[in-house]
Amino acid sequence: MSALSREMQRRYSEAFASYLAGADEVALHQAYELGRKALADGLGVLDIAVTHHNALDAVIEGEPAMARSVEIAKAAEFLAETLSPFEMSLRGYRDTNDQLIAMNETLGQARAAAEAANRELEAFSYSVAHDLRAPLRGVDGFSQALLEDYADRLDDEGRGYLKHVRESAQRMGRLIDDLLALSRVTRSQLDRAQVDLSGLAQNVAAQLQKAQPGRQVEIVIAAGMFADGDARLLRIALENLLGNAWKFTGKRAEPRIEVGVTSGDDGAFFVRDNGAGFDMAYASKLFGAFQRLHSTDEFEGTGIGLATVQRIVNRHGGRIWAIGEVDRGATFYFTLGGGARRA
Amino acid sequence: MSKRVILLVEDNPSDEALTLRAFAKNNIRNDVVVVRDGAEALDYLLGCRNDPADLRAMPQLVLLDLNLPKVDGLEVLRRIRADERTRLLPVVILTSSGEERDIVEGYGLGANSFVRKPVDFVQFTEAVRQLGLYWLIVNEPPPVIWH
Repeated sequence: MSALSREMQRRYSEAFASYLAGADEVALHQAYELGRKALADGLGVLDIAVTHHNALDAVIEGEPAMARSVEIAKAAEFLAETLSPFEMSLRGYRDTNDQLIAMNETLGQARAAAEAANRELEAFSYSVAHDLRAPLRGVDGFSQALLEDYADRLDDEGRGYLKHVRESAQRMGRLIDDLLALSRVTRSQLDRAQVDLSGLAQNVAAQLQKAQPGRQVEIVIAAGMFADGDARLLRIALENLLGNAWKFTGKRAEPRIEVGVTSGDDGAFFVRDNGAGFDMAYASKLFGAFQRLHSTDEFEGTGIGLATVQRIVNRHGGRIWAIGEVDRGATFYFTLGGGARRA
Repeated sequence: MSKRVILLVEDNPSDEALTLRAFAKNNIRNDVVVVRDGAEALDYLLGCRNDPADLRAMPQLVLLDLNLPKVDGLEVLRRIRADERTRLLPVVILTSSGEERDIVEGYGLGANSFVRKPVDFVQFTEAVRQLGLYWLIVNEPPPVIWH
């Protein structure tokens, strides 16, 4: 068991005897220093008490006549000085503890507030999903009904307007769907597991090809890419990144999309295309919700896809960035906190 | 033999009109009974019908919206499945939302299908055409149980 070293015991006895003899400040200071050292060495109050008891015995044994004349009060003063670092430390501990309790309370309140906000967001999204789309169906449906039943009473311009009405309604429908997907990405919990990113990318690419069988795109996906992440969310991220690459290579004669990992220890996954690209001057706008670098006429989109991808990457503790050049393609890099790797 | 009715549980008049239009465009000629909320739907389905002559009133298919006044769609479905007379009734949830929890809960309560209404009316018409084809023609409905 721990106890004061012989050296410390000796110093204690000496300083103690010296204090009893003359009550000098130096001896008292030594008591304080010994106490501090004992505390720093991880010794306890009981170790000090034993040492004190031995020192007292030694004084009385050396001079039995002293037995009566040793002033109890002075001996206690010395012991108290030795123990003062312990008391201070205890007080510090208590203060820290009080602060911790207070902080915990604040944290608890913050968490409750966050949970309440999350529930509200949940209810809001639910209501959006249900209520906001219904009127759009009315707008689109009755416009279509007019086009079908009253086409002969409208001229080309009138029919054109109705088509615009329908397009707008459908576009808003897509916006609502994308916004809901974005908020779902934030709300859903993260289930991390080993994810076969190569397989996932192949799958997404096959889906894109199936949706537009007529397009010929060279897609190169590195084999054996694995990531530590949430498979469902990573799928959404790849759907958006590959979907963008697919879309923005739409006007290329020889469209090419590549999915891979950069070399090096802190390798990042990347999705590269030789499509429309973008001006690096606007790179900061890429990941903002509703930010678009192309007009809807040029390329259809809601401007929510990359915001969704960024949110997914952030939730994994990773980073996303992009390099591009107008008409020379774009490369999107991302990490997932666990580091990219190939098996 | 007269066709059995379709029960459309729909509170939104626009959606009702569009759904009826989609039926008409797809030559679905069954009578459609429209009820405006969950309570009306339950009154209709679970209302006392001891008369065998009234069998026709038991729908061949229920198209059920979820977001309904008074009694919501999922509760309507729960009560349909809990009642001996209606527990086998084909119920298709036809709603705006594609929220996962609605889908999971809907199937959990015994929905036969879950169809999300598209905003695009052309797509909506196509969805209704396929629904009608499957549930009114291809599918063999359960026998009507009456007491």
